[in-house]
Amino acid sequence: MAENHEQNGDGHDGGHHTNYKKIYFTLLGLLVVSVAGPFLEILVITLITAFGIAVVKANLVIQNFMHLKAEKRLAKWILATSLLLMALMFAGISADVMNHEGRNWVNLAAMAAVERGIVDPHAEGEVEEVEFVAVARTVEADFNLICATCHGTGGLGDGAAGVALDTPPADFTDPVFWETRDMDRILNVITNGAAAVGGSSLMVGWSASFSAERIQEFADYVLAFRPEE
Amino acid sequence: MAFPKPAATLRSSTGIPTGRLAVWWLLASEVVIFGGLLGAYLMFRLGHPEWADAAEHTNTWIGAFNTLVLLTSSFTAVLAHQAAERGDGKTAAKFLVLTIGGALTFVMVKSVEWGIEITAGYTITANGFWSFYYTAAGLHALHVIAGAIIMGIIAVDAYRGRELQRVELIGIYWHFVDVVWIFLFPLLYIAK
Repeated sequence: MAENHEQNGDGHDGGHHTNYKKIYFTLLGLLVVSVAGPFLEILVITLITAFGIAVVKANLVIQNFMHLKAEKRLAKWILATSLLLMALMFAGISADVMNHEGRNWVNLAAMAAVERGIVDPHAEGEVEEVEFVAVARTVEADFNLICATCHGTGGLGDGAAGVALDTPPADFTDPVFWETRDMDRILNVITNGAAAVGGSSLMVGWSASFSAERIQEFADYVLAFRPEE
Repeated sequence: MAFPKPAATLRSSTGIPTGRLAVWWLLASEVVIFGGLLGAYLMFRLGHPEWADAAEHTNTWIGAFNTLVLLTSSFTAVLAHQAAERGDGKTAAKFLVLTIGGALTFVMVKSVEWGIEITAGYTITANGFWSFYYTAAGLHALHVIAGAIIMGIIAVDAYRGRELQRVELIGIYWHFVDVVWIFLFPLLYIAK
């Protein structure tokens, strides 16, 4: 018994007695508020009553029931380290999970899931399957997402990454460029990369990323930049 | 206990009794386990507005009732600790038994709730929302069950006036389980 008192009297509880009953009834009051919040049907209020109050409730429990406020600093640092690791994880990957499209990538599966919506389990048999192709992107969207990074959306070779290259991309609207190009060569370059025709190795081949049809569409898209004679 | 205690059990060179320090370390690992799961849920929920249609089907009242149960059990757990501090093992044991009652109520309500949902076709494989729902709430429920078992062992000791410092240790763990639920409740039941 004496041992217990010694251990607990160790600055623990701060020498004063927490009114546990008061804390408990405060927690119950907060619970009522968090349940009542959504009935106002105002998003901001729901967010505050749901998550703001969760933080307040958790803090009341941690400080007063777990007695963290009277605990030695070491315990706080141990827990803070874990929380920091959590924050790092969230900061590191949330952008990739929450966005379904970035500068050089698209998450077709996530896009399809959003498009498909939540399938009602009772609607068995009548469920319309939404394939990934249902959110297939136009050739223009793909060009602007992938190719335009270097080639520019107008085909001028002025994409943000392109201007930084040692061998800048060609200007598709320049008549001189078209003097030595035809459909076969454009297709070859998009499929196998410019190095295949003795050009810059920075223009890589895309046959692994796109179907032959889509590459044909890219070629058509590029040929459309060709100025009228 | 009949066997001699290892020296570390009685040592407190950090200023924190070793047992309590161990509980803090345990909770630090739990923070990462639950934090990782809830953090991932949050990312997906924010990236998938359609999940709100699935969240529609969770029952806020059942969730709120279970929150009430856990808050109350945290209250009895801290009263058990208070009694143990006074050296009153019998009262501490009584409050621990009440806390175990809260744990059992929580788990029973949860199984009824899950039964209703699973029968309605909302299973763990229905979609991403329900996967997270069952994984997060299930992992939490396992912690509730584990806590209840440990509390039972400690209550028996406490009733006999032994190892009263452990009443506080299981209490700290139990409050943590409560805190996890405090966050699960708005994430799974209120945000529709």
